[in-house]
Amino acid sequence: MPDFASARHLPNLREGKEPPDKRWLPRQRRGITPQMVGRYPDYDVLEQIDAWDPATRRVIEERMRAGGRRLTFFTTAEERTLRAFCDVAVAQDEEPRVPVAELVDEKLAAGRLDGYQYAGMPDDRDTWRLVLRGLDEAAGERFGAASFADLGLTEQEAIVVELSRGNLTGGTWQTLDAGRAWSVCMRMILSAFYSHPWAWNEIGFGGPAYPRGFMRMGPVGTLEPYERAGATHEDPARMAPRLEP
Amino acid sequence: MRPTFLKGAIGPRANDSRFLLDVHHRQLPGEATMRRYRDDEEVDLAVVGAGAGGSVLAQRLARRGWRIVVLEAGPFWHPDEDWVSDEAGSHRLYWTQKRIIGGADPIEMGKNNSGRGVGGSMIHYAGYCPRFHPSDFETFTRDGVGADWPISYGELEPHYRELERELPVAGQDWPWDRPHRYPFSPHPISGGAQLIWKGARALDIEFRVGPVGIVNGTFGNRPHCIYRGYCLQGCKVNAKASPFVTHLPDALAHGVEVRAGCMATRVEVDASGRRATGITYVEEATGRERFQRARVVAIAGYSIETPRLLLNSTGGRHPHGLGNGEDQVGRYVMVQGADQTAGRFPTEVRMYKAPPPEISSEQFYETDPGRGFARGFSIQTVSPLPIGWAEHVLADGHWGRALREYMRDYNHWFAIGVLCELLPQADNRVTLAEERDRYGMPIARFDHSRCDNDRHNMAYARGVITDLLRAAGAQDVLSITRYAHLIGGCRMGTSPAESVVDRHQRVWGMMNLYLADGSVCPTQGSANPALTIMALSSRLARHLARNPA
Repeated sequence: MPDFASARHLPNLREGKEPPDKRWLPRQRRGITPQMVGRYPDYDVLEQIDAWDPATRRVIEERMRAGGRRLTFFTTAEERTLRAFCDVAVAQDEEPRVPVAELVDEKLAAGRLDGYQYAGMPDDRDTWRLVLRGLDEAAGERFGAASFADLGLTEQEAIVVELSRGNLTGGTWQTLDAGRAWSVCMRMILSAFYSHPWAWNEIGFGGPAYPRGFMRMGPVGTLEPYERAGATHEDPARMAPRLEP
Repeated sequence: MRPTFLKGAIGPRANDSRFLLDVHHRQLPGEATMRRYRDDEEVDLAVVGAGAGGSVLAQRLARRGWRIVVLEAGPFWHPDEDWVSDEAGSHRLYWTQKRIIGGADPIEMGKNNSGRGVGGSMIHYAGYCPRFHPSDFETFTRDGVGADWPISYGELEPHYRELERELPVAGQDWPWDRPHRYPFSPHPISGGAQLIWKGARALDIEFRVGPVGIVNGTFGNRPHCIYRGYCLQGCKVNAKASPFVTHLPDALAHGVEVRAGCMATRVEVDASGRRATGITYVEEATGRERFQRARVVAIAGYSIETPRLLLNSTGGRHPHGLGNGEDQVGRYVMVQGADQTAGRFPTEVRMYKAPPPEISSEQFYETDPGRGFARGFSIQTVSPLPIGWAEHVLADGHWGRALREYMRDYNHWFAIGVLCELLPQADNRVTLAEERDRYGMPIARFDHSRCDNDRHNMAYARGVITDLLRAAGAQDVLSITRYAHLIGGCRMGTSPAESVVDRHQRVWGMMNLYLADGSVCPTQGSANPALTIMALSSRLARHLARNPA
């Protein structure tokens, strides 16, 4: 049974920094989380949507409609590699998925960039295209595949770990600093993934809080009426103390 | 006996902003009836930038009867519709026009340190409002590093005191260096901040609640904070101080025009080259270039845009830009080393609740020869929301499955950060890049590298907060190296050979051109800069009122 007071599940405290298999966590019982795993199986932030101000609600509802939208910035040829890369970067290996690729595409198409560009790096939009090309090149060079998207998860992760350490060289990577490019892409991927209410369900985040606010700030462990404590995969009915007749 | 001080019951003497706001909506009152000036009308003052510096200057001088136009590149906010209780949705609050970053330690811009729109970057600052220390004004004399200011702490102190009433600042009595009190009582703190305090006590580190520019109680028509934690996404409550609620309502009521969506591209000068005649700007809505005449010009575009505008204003007697005869414009730009460390606790902490700025310590602010480096740092709570937390986890080298595991653990973590005083260096500077923006103006390039003292300071500070989290009972800690705030770039000094403006923030060699923002600071201390930027503008306003150019 998971014990959230212990920190044994944290990668830095584990052998080889390898995280536990996600199956150590409960399946989501209420609402949706990415891949339906999470720490708060009985918490759905969307049940609070009536407490959100209209402007916030509009922005988030629009975000939730991004799934399945046709990409406009990336080409059809780039799309498969883009999706495979976004999946590996935040470990989305099955449905339901937060539509990371769609949200990234939308941001790039609209030119909503972060306001800075490292000297010697191309524009963020060009960086994205070059990264996808570089990933396909690495897939060919290392595993003889036509595309990064054709590789299995292990091979994909082996390439991405080198990208994250700035170790990819040759071809496209001769002209592109891999470490910086990784930071450009991850900024956007993480911002997309953790802007989605499904990801908030997974981590038990309280979500938008205006005009309602928070009233119960402590002591630690104090919950608002709608917040839920971290829970396990046990059946709650079986966990409840038996009622005496 | 000292006069007693009735907390929460006093307001500023000459600023009615708190009464002009509306209890039921968040729009800036007076926008619809705002006074408008014609371009060819010579106003008394044209200001570039409606942020901390520009807004205070305009509000003060409008009360003296000056006719003022403030040009702002970004939008005129309507917070009820424009601002959201959401991290990713707050993108528009930041200055996201491209800047090139270089040097050995490049500084990320955008949401990290740059604002755009009426109210400036204080719209999305955390809310910490500490004063600088007296030592910050004479680091060269005291510690042999940095530079001495041409003014002293004593000259800013009355302005600090007045602004603390205007924001208003809430916090415990402040014990460090020049002890002082705050006009509003300290806010209650979260369970997470209490954990930190417990760890600090074990290590003999003193903390205090605040100081934050967040209303505790009611203040005119500004409501009490609701502790929702979205200070960095724009306060939809009107509880957090920014010029949008603290100075612009009063400014508009006294005839100031805030012309939003207007990007200044050049300061024009007359044939003598010594007098500014006004500002050329591009009106975003029409794409049309316009020119506003003015008797006095003040630039308040902050450490990147102010140097950029001066460097772009070339011609005649100023082939290298205004105030740049000695190649000083754009130099000595500073940021603070702002590493953050998060600790994991056995119980749920939920750091998203309560404002990120809760408690802070200035125990390590001053030079301690035993530490092996000059100057120091402060410690503050920071409490990132999920996207900020994801960047923190990524910085420790996690992505994919490992990142998801750390992210799911979010509610068990609490983060604190430091602000290390990095020293001013001539080569940490803003220059113009080759690339041009859509107004045809060269974009800014900012190069930044740390010196040895900077590296030692940051390493030491990270050690202190890591030990603090361990002492508080953290089971695991994650750290991220980062930088925060901007200051300098057009520093004040005693001669044009080593500075851009004189002690009254007037550009050397110019009769009526002033800089009214954080770019004039020769050092930065370990304090968040907002209050000091406002205090400098307040002081400048008093000078201009007494000595009309």
